[in-house]
Amino acid sequence: MNILIIGGGISGISAAKVALGEKQDVTILESTPEPGGLMARIANCRVGFKTFFDEIRDNKHLTVISDAKIVKAAKKDNGFAITLSDGRTLTADKVIIAAGLAPYDPVEYKGKRVLTSLEYDAVIDQRQGELPPDFNKIGFFLCVGSRSKDYPLCSSVCCSYTLREVKWTLQRAKPEITVFYNDLRFFGQEFYMEKAFRNTGVRFVRANSRYFEEDEEGVTVRYYAGGQLKEERFNYAVLAIGLRPNPQLAELSRMFGFSLNEYGFVNEKSPLQTDVEGVYVSGGALEPMNIKDSILTGFGAGLLSVKGPEVPAKAEGQDERLYREDEPEFVLSDGDATTCLFYLGTEDPGNGIFYEFVSSKFIEAARNLKKAGKAVYVLTRNMVTPSYGEVAYEEARREGVVFVHLEEDEAVAFDGNQVRIAREGRELTFNADKVIRFDDYAELFKDREYLSLYRSEPQIRWSPTKWGRKKYHIGFIRHPREKRWEGREVLGALGEILLDKEEERILPEVNEERCSGCGSCKDACPHSAIEMLIREKQLAIFGPVTSSGVPIAHVKEDTCVGCGLCASTCPSDVIAFSEKPPAP
Amino acid sequence: MIKEKDHEIVFKYTGYRREDFSVCLGCKICASVCTVNDLAQNVNPQELLMKLFVGEKIEDDHPLVRYCTSCYRCTTACPWQIRIPEVVRAVKESLGMESRFEKAFKKSLNIWGRVYEPFVVAMTALDLLKGGYIKYMPKWMGYAGFHLPHKVKRIKPTSAPKGLNPSGEGRS
Repeated sequence: MNILIIGGGISGISAAKVALGEKQDVTILESTPEPGGLMARIANCRVGFKTFFDEIRDNKHLTVISDAKIVKAAKKDNGFAITLSDGRTLTADKVIIAAGLAPYDPVEYKGKRVLTSLEYDAVIDQRQGELPPDFNKIGFFLCVGSRSKDYPLCSSVCCSYTLREVKWTLQRAKPEITVFYNDLRFFGQEFYMEKAFRNTGVRFVRANSRYFEEDEEGVTVRYYAGGQLKEERFNYAVLAIGLRPNPQLAELSRMFGFSLNEYGFVNEKSPLQTDVEGVYVSGGALEPMNIKDSILTGFGAGLLSVKGPEVPAKAEGQDERLYREDEPEFVLSDGDATTCLFYLGTEDPGNGIFYEFVSSKFIEAARNLKKAGKAVYVLTRNMVTPSYGEVAYEEARREGVVFVHLEEDEAVAFDGNQVRIAREGRELTFNADKVIRFDDYAELFKDREYLSLYRSEPQIRWSPTKWGRKKYHIGFIRHPREKRWEGREVLGALGEILLDKEEERILPEVNEERCSGCGSCKDACPHSAIEMLIREKQLAIFGPVTSSGVPIAHVKEDTCVGCGLCASTCPSDVIAFSEKPPAP
Repeated sequence: MIKEKDHEIVFKYTGYRREDFSVCLGCKICASVCTVNDLAQNVNPQELLMKLFVGEKIEDDHPLVRYCTSCYRCTTACPWQIRIPEVVRAVKESLGMESRFEKAFKKSLNIWGRVYEPFVVAMTALDLLKGGYIKYMPKWMGYAGFHLPHKVKRIKPTSAPKGLNPSGEGRS
């Protein structure tokens, strides 16, 4: 079978990987001279992309056509006949649209000192030589070119990307960093990163600015925070630009006949399928998404193109390696209240993970209450509604739900039915019959092992779902996500299973005679591969022979990845590796 | 929440529906570019919108009501392009803070559909005479004005105009 992938970005390459693994002929069309897409424009991700691509670069079933432009596409038999601008013709049985995203260009603000996040990336790139001499004060400004009237979606990656840029900046120098944000939309472990950066002195201000006065030495920025207009000088101002749909998608949709939605992204008939048979979609053509999700959808689209659309996008009855956790039930009882107030804020960074889940639930509930004719207020510290979630948020604002955006230093006091927001120069009091708080729902998440598992998400290995040996995570356990991700995650995980290969590992061995059963190895194991077994053991060496059940550590061979954490934690060297690991 | 009854006038004058400015994200970009900040301290147009949302009263000495020049910098910078100057103007009208010239100008538009200068000049002059501006004028105008029918202007209005006046006159 001939599979054509349009777009040589990370998502297209992932799809190619799955298809090549199934011994199919794959052609990748790339409109620029080199595959890479947006990911290769980020300095620290370029190497990662290269290693990812190098695994399939020399595959004899793969053809990469650079500088390609499709001029004509026609349906032929069961496939497509495609003509390129240089006259070449191709035939393809299946097509995967992975055209990616187009970053917004803020020409009205750009300058020598006001940089977009991609331009700033080149500044802190280690391969570009030394940092500029005046690199003492840097401001990051989020939400430029997204969440606006002409493009109402949230780009969902700029917050995370800014966090990474802060990290890379701090790796090279120690400038004073301020992040100006509307909402901090992080996923999974990034809330811990944010907390860590706050502790190291990175300032987060809940205000945004478009007042940039640039001169030779720096940028003067005005912003309004804490009830005051402040003016500050920065050496560089970095604008986190939004990601918009690729303009070439419109052309492709005309040629292949699939439809686009009102924002310019591809309409999904069922997960990862367009409304034309044989045309699949992945990555940034679906919605703004980060690299990990692009890989996930790429794997999913690759799987679909190989196995056909019959693969059900449901976890039930599929591979038993899929590990799924369903979302907890979220019950709101409003009673007879006429005024409802939601408080969306928490001090616990662990609960930050659930911001996306709770935000969407709160918006849904607030809209329902508003429709029932009640007065609804939402006090927010952080409203996490990435990509299409922003549409519901906008609708809620239009329908008259009042969102009060709390600043960092504003304290909220609950006193019976009264809610007081206090800070210098501003005091707002609400009378609410019913107060619904984020922390009331923290207990929903407490008794499940989410938190430890979120922390076990691999950061370096490129596996969107495979976090443990033979364990592919989907559903609520990855991040708390919206419904539309359910099918995509299943397909992505199934695609990743196709790529699964046995990894070399060395299992630790337990000296059962000496094991005291303290359980420290069990606590240390990130993959819960150690269980405590009860063994009959002779207790006394002298005297009458008595035996009793004592706990002993036992390594589960299926789940252990051989990382060696248990061996290093064991207080009495009972767990150890018998042979030396092979030399690299 | 906006109490629609109280704020009818804002909708009436601006042609806005409530959702046109309730889309505000609270990013305070408008405050960062607002030029009124060079005349007064710590002006935040978003707070004015917030006051409308929660139904608070807007004082007539609010710097925005006083000094807003309708430069629309906030609107161009605003991600949602909320036309804040028009909201300010509507608030101003509801507070009865329009200048006499503005009133005469609008009246002329209502009658003729265009600006008829003699009418505007006459109305402005008449209003000035009635409104107790006589002491700033040549003396003979005072004598003339005294014989015209006029109301005695109170220094501080105690009744309605503190908040937004639902029955405010204007174009209809």
